[in-house]
Parts: sequence; structure tokens; C-alpha cells
Amino acid sequence: MKHYAVCRLLQLLPILFAITFMSFAMMRVAGSDVVEQKIENRGNAVSQEVVDAAREELGLDKPFLTQYFTWLGKMLHGDMGTSYVSGKPVFQTFLTKLPGTLLLTATSILLTIVLSIPLGILAAVRQNRITDYIIRVFSFIGNSMPNFFVALLLMYFFSIRLGLFPVISTGTSMKSVFLPTLTLAIAMSAKYLRQVRATILDELSKEYVAGAKARGIKFSVTLFRSVLKASLVTIVTLLTLSIGSLLGGTAIVESIFMWDGVGKMAVDAISMRDYPIIQAYVMWMAIIYVVVNLITDLSYRYLDPRIRLGGMKQ
Amino acid sequence: MKKRIAGIVLALALSASTLAGCGGTGGTSQTSAETAAAETAAKTEGAGGEKTFVFGDTTFNAENDESTINPHEGYSGWACIRYGVGETLFQLDDDMNLQPWIGESYENVDDTTWKLKIKDGVTFSNGNPCDGEAVKACLEDLVKTHERAAGDLKIASIDVNGNELTIKTSEPNPVLFNYLAEPYGCIIDVSAGVTPEGMVIGTGPYVAKELVTDDHLLLEKNPNYWNGDVNVDKITVRTISDGDTLALALQSGEIDAAYGMAYKSYPLFTNDNYTFSSTATSRSFYCQFNFNSPVCSDGAVRKAMAMGIDKEGFVKTLLQGYGYVGKGAFPDTLSYGGQNVNTESYDPEGAKKVLEDAGWVDSDGDGIREKDGQKLSVRWLTYPSRQELPLLAQSAQATLKDIGIDIQINSTADHNTICKDQSQWDVYVGANVNAGLGDPANFFSTHCLDSSTKNRGSYHNDNLEKLAKELEDTFNKDERGKLAIEMQQQILDDHAFIFCSFLKMSMISRKGVTGITAHPCDFYELTADLDVN
Amino acid sequence: MTQEITVRAKKVKKDHVKARLIVLSILVGILLLAAIFARQICPYDPYAQDLSISMQPPGPGHIMGTDEFGRDMFSRVLIGGRTSILSTLALVLIISIFGTFIGVLCGTFGGFLDSLVMRIADFFLAFPGLVFAMAVAALFSGGIINAVIALALISWPKYSRVARSQTLANMENSYIKAARLSGDNSAQLIFRHILPNILGPVLVTAMLDIGTMMMELAGLSFLNLGAQPPVAEWGNMMSTGRSMLQIYPWIVMSPGIAIFITVSLFNLLGDTVRDYMDPKNSHSR
Repeated sequence: MKHYAVCRLLQLLPILFAITFMSFAMMRVAGSDVVEQKIENRGNAVSQEVVDAAREELGLDKPFLTQYFTWLGKMLHGDMGTSYVSGKPVFQTFLTKLPGTLLLTATSILLTIVLSIPLGILAAVRQNRITDYIIRVFSFIGNSMPNFFVALLLMYFFSIRLGLFPVISTGTSMKSVFLPTLTLAIAMSAKYLRQVRATILDELSKEYVAGAKARGIKFSVTLFRSVLKASLVTIVTLLTLSIGSLLGGTAIVESIFMWDGVGKMAVDAISMRDYPIIQAYVMWMAIIYVVVNLITDLSYRYLDPRIRLGGMKQ
Repeated sequence: MKKRIAGIVLALALSASTLAGCGGTGGTSQTSAETAAAETAAKTEGAGGEKTFVFGDTTFNAENDESTINPHEGYSGWACIRYGVGETLFQLDDDMNLQPWIGESYENVDDTTWKLKIKDGVTFSNGNPCDGEAVKACLEDLVKTHERAAGDLKIASIDVNGNELTIKTSEPNPVLFNYLAEPYGCIIDVSAGVTPEGMVIGTGPYVAKELVTDDHLLLEKNPNYWNGDVNVDKITVRTISDGDTLALALQSGEIDAAYGMAYKSYPLFTNDNYTFSSTATSRSFYCQFNFNSPVCSDGAVRKAMAMGIDKEGFVKTLLQGYGYVGKGAFPDTLSYGGQNVNTESYDPEGAKKVLEDAGWVDSDGDGIREKDGQKLSVRWLTYPSRQELPLLAQSAQATLKDIGIDIQINSTADHNTICKDQSQWDVYVGANVNAGLGDPANFFSTHCLDSSTKNRGSYHNDNLEKLAKELEDTFNKDERGKLAIEMQQQILDDHAFIFCSFLKMSMISRKGVTGITAHPCDFYELTADLDVN
Repeated sequence: MTQEITVRAKKVKKDHVKARLIVLSILVGILLLAAIFARQICPYDPYAQDLSISMQPPGPGHIMGTDEFGRDMFSRVLIGGRTSILSTLALVLIISIFGTFIGVLCGTFGGFLDSLVMRIADFFLAFPGLVFAMAVAALFSGGIINAVIALALISWPKYSRVARSQTLANMENSYIKAARLSGDNSAQLIFRHILPNILGPVLVTAMLDIGTMMMELAGLSFLNLGAQPPVAEWGNMMSTGRSMLQIYPWIVMSPGIAIFITVSLFNLLGDTVRDYMDPKNSHSR
């Protein structure tokens, strides 16, 4: 197990390196100039000397490879440079954005679990009955609405029509986390409850369920003790993947609700061409990808003995 | 055992969700109603005891290089002066003339020497006197630390005698005191230093207490204010970068007044519950032609475009009437403004004739004119961060198509890189504050001359260069105005620029808020006049 | 006896699925025709402005109202659909063909090539699409093509993985071994035996992907990283109309509902195709 984990990690590490290089190169190719953009935003003109001085201060006048290795070296010491826009350390900026995203990830995953697992089970148990159909229709609608549309609809009804929730999010307050959480949970639950339903149905069609019934074991007991446990692999995998994508910050939802998280940071940085922040964001996404992959692989092997044994043969 | 626990957990989850499904909505609405009631109560109480005020601003952020309120850093002086923390030596009135503020008077001794007198009895909010020595220390620090100040001011030396200062400049600088009215000229107590968050001590009606960049600034009444009484005890300035959120926040009462509202949201507030304070500014939306472009190097094309843009329709409909049609480089509110110059007005038929006379005809019937195999297709370079620009682009695209000009819009945050390569664009459309300090020279020297950094399309005119030289050495205000009119006319005659419109800046406040007034220079927002009832 | 009933039930089910497939195909066909001939169908020029009738609510002349430039919303939604639907289909076509091709190569040859390509796939999966879209926007002149390229870059590995695992599964089959023994070269092997066998799963993946990709494309446009105004595209129409949600809701709702209906149709069709191709077809998922 440990050996396997180390192997996977070694496979994934070069990706991190490649990504830092690629993203660095891409930023330079994309090459719009933050110094001038900053000045232009103000609508006032300044002399060329001021522009050159600002550029030199940011190290933008050096050759590409020098810039890259300087950056890489510093990053390995935990210094990711300073934001072109705010002039603050990137790492610190990133850390201030992280709690927002962590909170939103936690609440939306929780709400998704609370919504999708019971509903998925219910739909499976009541297969092809009216409850099943209603649940499936809702899941279908949730699946076919882009999340920005859901967000706008929720905002329209809850904030404007009903005035229930504030529009300016104030950090950690439960009131302001509700709408973004609901937006994210609607889309995820819609997807998951289909999966949960399908997995449970798969299990229910297996012979041991009929066997248990024949032996007079209560259906609910079979359901909770055996069927659910067997379906757990699928559910856990799905959740890990979702946590991964949520941790990356959901650009659209965060920017619509002005949620001060990693996703909004990325969108803002992209529109401002704030390279150091974009770099940090790319790094973060790559790390998440690597870690999530590792966890999924390992949990597969842990939860499903078949894969575990199969893996050992390799 | 493990199995049993798992079962119980799942059962709990199941029942919890059922409960949530039944009672969720009712429960939440009740809680929020209660909280809302509690909030209202808190507000009323606040009004009875001490007066509080919340201001929403879209521009107070790091993106605008305004991360602190330290005037000696980037554009942070704008926050310092706007929110009433700092004050400058002289302030600009509604006609953009200098009026006394901390300074009482100034006098031009010779080309490079100025005498400045400071008012007696001005104090900083910490109680320190704001005298000649303090002003000298502040200006010296400004010139030393601020990136633009030294070049703008050209100060060589400062001598102090009580509250009288003698300032010598390294070369003639007719607009020294206009530049000192720029927000970076806020007089701060240098001896008190700057906090790590970037807060400073000024002479204004409010004192900064807490600052979180891109989030908020807390202000309190200055108990030592030298210039009258201050009504409001506590102010929160909230940075709300998104225009839609700003509108919603003003509607829900989370903020009391707003700066930077999107035009599209104006209809929500044009009723008795809100007050608008609007004024004309010199921020212009202009087209700048590329003189090396295959199509726009033709004067007839530039002239036709000047006649083919419906400035009136753009301002009336797309800006909801919150703007002014532009003629010259400066708005009509200034003595040297557009009322003194002549230029083409919207005239599609005339424009067609201009093009036809110049040999541009639609020979293949696709609605777009051609000449010598060259299609009359104009690449329109602009950027989206100012909400008016994409609207202008689309509006012009439609009206110019009617006279046979095809407009290819490229609206990108990357415009600065692209405009350096003249083969990539034909007309650049941007926004610029043309007379921010009440003086016309800056616009010409940055946009129209051979030496200008923003003469993007390589425009050149000998007469204009000559007039610019003359302007540099003219100290008389009326003479400067005359020169500015002559220079504007030259630019318009060459059709080097089209000035489409000027921004009408508005602040919106809820009923009960008084003393919020928009100023043409856009520097003063929260003053001692502010009051809430 | 039970056997017989099950078989019958399966047949009924299959007929049912087939009927659904036909109905949905017709509906999607209509949608596609509307997209292709949008220019011919739309009642007004979607780019023609008339400032005197800006912000008209839905009514007899303009069934979806007009926008701030006085452009007819119905015509814009139609043309926007053309942009959205055709670019989504192009995107899915590109990534499914390219991804499958790579996947089959990896599965057939294995070894170093396989692990190299899979690491490259990892690389693209780990790279945020937003940043790709931004970089592409700077390299090309902007527009919906940014979003298409960015999404193509991060989405092809999905198809490679499906194709690769299917290929590997097929390679185990005895008929492939037989074909090899009878002297087929790799190209013959791929085109005669592997591709026909993996086409089903790839097609199902692609059908189910259309809805998702359409939403992703609209999402990038919504963030201003895709189609740029004045080009009509559902995502950017909603993005520019966002601030008018309160006062002029039809400007946001019209494209929003259009996306919803279109994505629903493609999702339903995807589900049905999967059910139809599923040999077990024991239950609908």
C-alpha cells in the first residue's frame, strides 16, 4: 500500500513541475502588460520613465528563463512573489482567500450529501413509482441548468423578491453562505442522486438481496447493512472528485455572489493579468489534482478488496 | 458494531433531510425575518445615539492602485481625500478654479518662484498644528516617495517662514498649484507616520480607524476638526467592486449611499426614496485615429466617421441621459470647453457624400464601401473595464454600418499591448480625464504631440507642436484657455480625434442623507456637510 | 416461465426506448435545423439597432422583447443558439475524435508511448480551463474560439481514457489474437476490429457530454472569456443582461430558458442513446 502510494506520487510529481513551467511560459506569451493596464484603469497618463521604473521593479525587463528560475527558486522557499496589482505577498493573499473557499466547500458538500444520498436511496427503493419519477425529474432539471442561471434565479427570488438574504457577503456569516451553497448543491445533488440511485439498483438486483429476503431478514436491515456499504465506493469516489473541484474555487458562483474565495481571486487575477496570483492559482489546482487522484486511488484499494488484490498482482 | 454505527448515521442523515425538506423554508424565513427586525432596531437606536453612515464605492480597491489611504502611495490619495481624511492646500470649485483650503493664498514671484501662505489654526486630527514646517515636511516626503509627484511638481527647494513658504521649481511650472490639488497633495502629518495598514493622519473631518484593503475602511468623527462641526459619528466605506451588488445593497438598505452605480441600475433609484447628485466631469470617451492605418489615414474616412457616430443617441439611450455629448476635448462647463470650437455633428447623409466624393463606393453591393480594392473595414480597439466603452463600440458599429463602414470591434483587457502594434488597429477608443486639475495642458502633452506617450496613432501637426510650446511658458490663465481652444480646433480640423461624450458622474443616496454632492473633479465625496436623519 | 416474462419485458422496454429515441431525435433535429438556418428564420436582423425601441418588454412585435440597443431578443436568441449549439457540436466532435484516436493508439501499443501520453493527459486535466481560456484569448483575436480551444485542451483526455480502457478490454478477446496471428498489421487491427467495437461507448460518452460542454462554454462566455459582444451567444447575453435582472428580466430569462431547453433535449437524447445501446437494458438509470 505504502509502496503503491509512493509510486503514484512519483508519477504525479513531474506533472507539477511541467505545469509550473507551462503556466509561466504561457503568461509571458499572453504577455499583456500589467504596468500599463494599471495606469490605464485610472484614465490618466504618465511618462515612459515611470512605466519603465515600475517594470524594472517587477523584474519584467529580464529574460524569460531567468524570470522562471528566479520564481521557481523563490517558490520552493515559500515565497511566491508579490501581486502586481495589490503589491501584497501572493502567498498571504492566497491564504486569506482560502477559508472562504474551504467553508463553501464544506457546506455545499454537506448539503449535497444530505440531499442526494437519501433521495437517491428513496428513488431506488421506489423504482418506477411516482416518488421515483418526481425525484428523477428534479434531478434532470438540476442537471440541465447552468449554475450561473441557477445562481441568478436564486438571487432574484431570495434576495430581490423575498429579501431574505443579504447581497453583500460578509465573510463567514451563515446567512451569506446559504445562496452560493444552494447553487452548488443543486447541481451536484442532481448529478449524485442519479449515481446513487443507479448504484443502489445495481446492488439490489444482486442475488444476496433476494437471499436475505428469503431468509426473512427485514429489507431495511439489508439495505442499510449490506447494500449501502457496497455502494459506498462509488459515492466516496464521487465526493472526493467534487471536493477537489470545489477546493479549486468555483469561479462563476464565487464571482456572482461576491464570495471572497480562491475562484473569485482567479477570475479577478485573470481579468487584471496579475501573473503571480494566476501562477499561485495554477499551482493550487495542480496540487489538488495530484492529491485527489492519490486519495481516490488509495480509497478504492482500501474500500474494494477486489481492486486491492488485483493491484497487488501488478 | 461498525456496521450498526454506519446504519444509524445514515438513518439519521435520512431523517434529518426529510425534516429539512418539510420545515426548511419556514424555519429559514423566520430566522431571517427576526434578524432583519433586529437589524432595523439596531439602526434606529444608532440614529438616536450616534449617527452612522455606510458608503458603498466601486473604485476603492487595489485594482485601481488604491489599496490604502496614504496619499504618497500610487493613487491611494484618492481615498484619502474622497473619504474626508485628508485635505489639499487648494481645492477645485465647480468651475475647476483653485479656492483656498489649507492654503490661504499663493503668488507667482517669478517663473520659478512661488509664495504660499497657509491658514492659521489648521490642525491635524491628532491635535498637532498643520503649520509651515508640517506642510514642508509633507511635500518633501511626497516628492521623495511618490512616483509621479516629482515629475509633475518640479520642486527644487522649499523655505519656511512661520506659515509662509517659498517654493522654487527647477523649471517654469505654471500649474504647480493645480498639481498640488491632485489627491496626492493631501497634507498629512509626516511625523505621525503611516500604520502598517496604510492609514495616515490628515486634517479632514474624519479619522481613519480601521482599514482592510478591498473590503472596508472605518472612519470616526475628527474631534479636533479645524473647519466647523462634523455631523456624522461613524462611517463605514465598503468596497463593492461589482455594480449589480452595489445596486442590490443600496436597495436593501445595507448601504446609505453609493458611488459608481451602473447606468442600467439607475431606473431603480429614480424615485422619491433616493437622491441623485450628478455633475459633468472632464472624463471623455474618445476615438483616436491611427494615421498609419490603410483606411484611417484617409482624412475623408475620419471625417465621415465623425459625422456617422450618433453621440446624442448614445448618451440619451445607452447612458440613460447620464452623460454629455462631446464636441471638443473639454466639456462645455469649462471656459475653454467645447462651446468654443466647431466640428461635424451627426449627419449620415453628409457622411455618405463625403465618402463618395473621396472615391469610396459600394461596388459589390454588400453594403460596405470599397476604394481601389480596399474594403472600408475599420478595426475598433477598445476595452471593457469602463462600462461605457463596449456600449459605444456597439452603437457606433450600427450607425457606421448605415453609411457603409464596417466596424470590427476588438474589446480586450489587452488593449495596451495591441495598440503598440499599429498594424493591428485603425481606431483606438478609450476614456481619459482630460482636465482633471482644471488645466488643459496635460491632455495635449500626453495624447497629441510627437513626444506624447499616448499619441498612439502617430498624429503630427506642426502648428499644434508650436502652440504646445507656447502653452508651456504661459502663466496667464486666460491666455492658456485661448491656446487650449486653438489647439482643440486644430485637432478637430485634422480629424485626429472624435470626442464622443463626457461622463456625468453621479452619487446616489437614500432619503434622509444630505450633504453628498458630486464635484466635477471627482475628488470630494464625504465632507463635514454629510448628515443622516 | 419467468424467463419468458423477462424477455418480453425487455422487448417492451426496448420498443419504448426506441420510440423515445425517435421522438427525441426529431426534436433535436428541429433544434439543429433552427440553429443552421437561424439567419433565415429570425424575424429581424439580430444586430440591427433601433435605440428608440430599447428595452421593450415582450409583446406582439417582439415576442421576447428588445435589449438595450433595441435589438430583437428573439432573433438574438436564435442566432445565439446557432453560436452555442454549433460550437458545442464542433467541440465535442473534435475532442471525441482526437481523444479516441490517442486512446486507441495507447491501448494498442502500450509501453512507453502509453505512459507518456497518460502523463500528458494528467497534465491537461490538472490545468485550470479558465487560465487556458485567458492564454488562448491573448494568442487569438478572442471570441468563442477561445472557449472552444480551452475546453478542448482540458477535455480530450476523458475520451482517451474511455477509448484506452475499451481497447485494452478488446485486446484480450480471442478474435483479436486470432486476427493478429492471421497477419493483420496494427492499422488493420485498429480499423477492422478495435474501432468498430469501441464506437458504442465513445458515442454514448459524447452524447452525454454535449449538454455539459454547452453549459461550460456558456460559463466561460459568462465570465467574459468566450464570445465577445456584440456576437450573440447565450452565455454572454446572460452576462451582459445580468445587471438588468431586476428591471428588465426578459433579457436574462430568454437566453437562460433557451440554454435550459437545449441542454435538456441533448441530455435526454444522451440518456436514451445509452439505454438503447445498453445490451443489458435491465433498468433505466
